[in-house]
Formats: sequence, structure tokens, C-alpha cells
Amino acid sequence: MVLIDCFLMLLLAYGFGFLYYGLYRNLSARVHGRFGPSLAQSFFDSVKLFVKEQSTTFGWMFYAGPIIMATGAVLNVLFIPFINHGDSLQGLSSSANLIVVLYLMVLGPLGNALGVGSNGNPFGVMGITRGLTRLIALELPFYLAVIGVMIDAGSADFSAIFEAQSQEMNLLKHPLLFMAAFISFLGFMGKSPFDVVGAPQEVYSGPATEFSGKFFALLLSQSAMFSFAKLLLMVNLFLGGADDLGDLVLKTFVLFVAATFIGSVYARFSTIQSVEFLMRIPTLLGIVGLALL
Amino acid sequence: MEEGFNAYRQSLESEEQSIKSTQSVVEQAIAWFRAHSMFVLAYGTGCGAIEMPPTFTSRYDIERLGVVGVATPRQADILIVSGYCSPKTLKRVIRSYEQMSDPKYIIGLGSCTINGGMYWDSYNTIKKLDDFLPVDMYVNGCMPRPEALIEGFVKLQEKIRLNSSEAGYIKYRDNYAHYRANQERLFGAQVAPSYEENFAGMN
Amino acid sequence: MQNLMQHFEIIQKTPTLYALHVSIETLFNTLHHLRYQSDFITLSQLTCTDWIEEERFELGYMLTNLERNCNLMVKCFIGRDDVTVASVVTLFPQAEVMERELHEMFGVGFEGNDTLYDFALEDWQDLPPMRREFDTLAYVQSHYDFRDGRDDNLDVKEQIKIRKAAAKSAKEAQGGA
Repeated sequence: MVLIDCFLMLLLAYGFGFLYYGLYRNLSARVHGRFGPSLAQSFFDSVKLFVKEQSTTFGWMFYAGPIIMATGAVLNVLFIPFINHGDSLQGLSSSANLIVVLYLMVLGPLGNALGVGSNGNPFGVMGITRGLTRLIALELPFYLAVIGVMIDAGSADFSAIFEAQSQEMNLLKHPLLFMAAFISFLGFMGKSPFDVVGAPQEVYSGPATEFSGKFFALLLSQSAMFSFAKLLLMVNLFLGGADDLGDLVLKTFVLFVAATFIGSVYARFSTIQSVEFLMRIPTLLGIVGLALL
Repeated sequence: MEEGFNAYRQSLESEEQSIKSTQSVVEQAIAWFRAHSMFVLAYGTGCGAIEMPPTFTSRYDIERLGVVGVATPRQADILIVSGYCSPKTLKRVIRSYEQMSDPKYIIGLGSCTINGGMYWDSYNTIKKLDDFLPVDMYVNGCMPRPEALIEGFVKLQEKIRLNSSEAGYIKYRDNYAHYRANQERLFGAQVAPSYEENFAGMN
Repeated sequence: MQNLMQHFEIIQKTPTLYALHVSIETLFNTLHHLRYQSDFITLSQLTCTDWIEEERFELGYMLTNLERNCNLMVKCFIGRDDVTVASVVTLFPQAEVMERELHEMFGVGFEGNDTLYDFALEDWQDLPPMRREFDTLAYVQSHYDFRDGRDDNLDVKEQIKIRKAAAKSAKEAQGGA
């Protein structure tokens, strides 16, 4: 039963991840005044990349990088419940809590650093340095907000967090915490203004520079699933979780469209700028939000 | 015998059907995905590169066809050699092409890649690109407008779907000695290291 | 400018363009003076002209002063073979690339510039290509293959004349009718 549930969750995350990525490209195209590609374009890309040949090798650690990242994404999807009640689409969330999820969220960048470090491409190393520097600044406001949510619920379990939000969702109860978490969520999603990691005009593709063929397809798939996991986490923490599948789609979609539109209109922060900004405004919001609890 | 646009279109369709009947379903599907997802290496050699930004941005929006720019040759499928090519540039182009992974295609953009164009008597530009690299699709003109480039992409999609066995990268692999000899004759001592061992590993 | 004209033989060409001829010995000192005493702080061009009939090159330093809106071309004749001129990199840092290009295209040496190696032409074995004794067409024909079927360099003047005459007569016939 749990196996079927897990499988269904992965399938949903994969499908929604690619759909949202296609939607992201489409929406940002509309913002630019273009028509944009078809919704399934990212899926076409990943299929094509899976049947493309691998052109280079840098030893086994190079291949382990994307696999570690994919592991992190898959575990994240399995440990975050899709629905806020009942038994279906819960995956392994009963045996894990928020702290495990937060811990696993850092696994991706670490795996990336290991893989990129072994290929020695200067642009990859530059990208990963920027990524890890930014990650430190991202985590501070996000963790402050998460701590606030945990204090409010009195537990790190998802079920307790859902219960605490059964009357009023955290977005309305603690708007400051939500704002702090949302700004760093934009960074976690790799949206402008916090997209220095893979900025194509500066560091080519950043960490993904040397990857080709199947492993690049794996990177794309895991990033699509991982973004869906992050959307889920935000929905669960601040929007009270989803009552059913329709609710899930609606809530993630609203959050996603907000992130996309903000990402389409802002210019890129440099690494230092984004660290300074994240250390100041969202962190301050988080601290004030914590004090008001 | 009928004449006119409809008859021409029907003849094309029947030709397509006859080719498709020789391919298996998996082959057809893979070819379709390849044709509808083309990553272009964001690299411009000559003045033709100026026609690529309008092709990719709002006005002509080639992303509709699944064509996007990528920044590294490792992930690219298509190399656009956009205009004149001096020997110094050609060395870099060849290195980039050899770093791309199969299947890969080349579009020669502009008259200069076909026969030298207006630089036919220049001491520092090559006259025939297909002596050195296997070109899949030529787009002529000086400069070709973005519409012409889009037409080239559509024709290339057709070629990928129907004639995948005649692709340039297969030609390059099979006739490597010929291309290599031409490169060596032009570059003399400064020729890039050979990639022949890599081909042996792939086969 | 008036002050300068008293000391140098400056010819005014247009309201904003002046020219000055100096000898190779006084070239560097003149430029130094213009740079530091007369505020010509920009070197906007460094040109070379090949006067093959007179067996000499002509270097031209185009100095610009934006505040006074005037350009001064300092010209200097040098020999064609194995000449070395003092580099002006110390006066104008941007001259480094310009001198490098002249070295590659004409074979002029610049003393004090360390970057005089390959620039746009890699591994060039022939004569510097901008010298007028360099036969471009012969070089191209010996180094590159042409694609068959291309008819270049045809004399089409006669054809154009005939066509124009035909068009003219047709027009006249039409007008007459």
C-alpha cells in the first residue's frame, strides 16, 4: 500500500514538476511578449536528452553528483505529505518530520558540489561557490520562519502543523513569517533576482556546464521534482496543506504563478547583493515575526 | 497529373509516409522528440550572429519550435556557424563542434559559409565550410533574415525526422580522415589534437 | 591651439581637424608634449599608410581633445623595411592594441611594446597582408578552395551599359507612343 502511494507521489511530482516548468517558460514568454513553447516542451527536452550520447567522463564522482541530487529530491517528495488528512498520498511522512525534510533539502547542493568539484570546470566551480554562499543566506530567514511555525504548532510533525492550521492558515496568522519564508523560497526556486548560480551570461550554465546527455536529463528531472517539493513544503507550512488533489493543484499553482511573475520582472542580484539583501530584510522580518509569536 | 500547391503538398506527404513506413515506432518517436527539442549553442562567428537575437526574442520567437540557446557545447545539439569564418575562428568552431555530443547538427548561416560570399577574395576567411565540418543545412543570403533562419530550422526538423541516417555527425565520423586532412592543410602546425580515439570508443 | 600653432607647423584642415608633420626623431617628444602640456589625452586612432612608390610608410596618430572639440593628426614618415618606432604605450595605454595590429598588418616594429605577437592572424607565415606588395588574390587562390559554379570578378560594366541603354530606349519608345 505504502509502495503504491510512494510510486503515485513520485509520478505526480514528476508530472507536475515538468508541467510547472513548461508553464514557467510559457508564462515568462508571455511576460516578454512572446508565445513561448508548448507546455510539454521540458518533457520533450528531457526525453531527447535521455537518448543523447554522453560526451565526456571525469570519473565516478562526476556521475555520483546528479544521482545524489536526484536522491535528495526523491526523498523530499516522499517525506512531504501531499494531502493534509487521511492515509492516501502521505508517503513516508509519518516516519519523518520537518527537520529531516530541511536536512534533505541541503543534500542537493552538496551532491552538486561533489559532482562539479570533480570535473574541474572553472565555471562549474564558480557557480557552485556562488550557490553555496547564497544557500547560507537563504537558509537563515527560511529557518527562522520554520522555527516560528514549529513553535506555533508545538511540534515538528506535519500532522501537528496541519492541526494548528485547521482554523486559520499560517499565512494569515503569521504574515511576517510567511514573507520571510517566501523571499527565501524565491531563492530556493532559483528565480530572478536570486539566480546567480546558473546565470548563463556570466558562468555559462554554472554547475551544469560539463553535464551532457543522460545526466543532464537527470539534473533537469530532479530539479523539476525538487521545485514541486519546495512548492509542497510552502503549501504545507503556510497555506494549511491541501484538502484534496484539486486544492493541491490550486494552492501550488497560485504560489508558483506568484513566484514566476516576480522572477520575470526583476533583474539579477550579484552574489554579494543577494546575500546582503537576504541577511537584512527577510531575516529582520523573520526575527520580528518570531518576537510577535 | 494535377498541378498546384495542393498536389505538391500531397506528393510531399506521400513521400513522408513512404519513408516513415521503413522506420520502427521507437525510431519515429525518438526522431520526433529530437526534432522538437533543439538546443542551439549560443555562439556567433560573424556578422550573422546579429540576426540570432531577433530570432530568439519577442519578434520571431523561435522557442515556439522548441529551439533554445544553451551556453555550453556539452548540452547543445545545433551549432550555427553564422557568417564568415577566419582560420582562427574555425579552430574554435571545430573544437566546440567536437565537444558536442551526438547527435549534433550544423547550420551554415549566410553566403559566406557557402562560397565565401562578399569575402571571396579575403586572405583570412575560408570559402567552403563543408570542407572542414559537415554542414546539415545551409541558409543563404547576406544577411538572411530571421524568417530564413526559421525556414532553415523547419527544414532541419524535417531532415532529422525523415533522413536521420544522412546526418552530418555520421558523415564526420565516417569521413574523419578527409575532414582532418583539410583542417591540417589549412592550419598547418597549429592543428587541434585529434579526436579519432573518441570515435573508436563510441563505436 | 593658437599657442600650439606658434611652436609647431600646424595646418588647419577643417574647423575641428588639424594636421602636423614631424620627423621620426622628434615624434615621441612631440607626442609627449601634446599629451601632458596640451591636454590631448585621447589617442583615438593610430593609422599607417603605405606609399609604395615613395618607398615609405606614413604613421598617423589621431589625438583628440573632447573639451576643446578638436582633433590633431600627428603624421610621421618612416621607412618601409625593418623600421622601429618608439612605442607610445606609456603615454596612451590604449595604443598597445593599435600598435599590435599595425605590427601584424604592416610589419612596423614598436620599441617598448611587449605584446607584438599574433593578434587576428594566427600562425601567419606570409608577408604582412596590408603591405601593398602582398598579392591578396594569389594568396587566396593558393590557400583556399573555391566552390565550383561561382563566377566572381566578371567585368559586368558592358552588360550594365547595354541593359541601361535597352531600358532607356524602351522607355523612350513608350513615351513616344
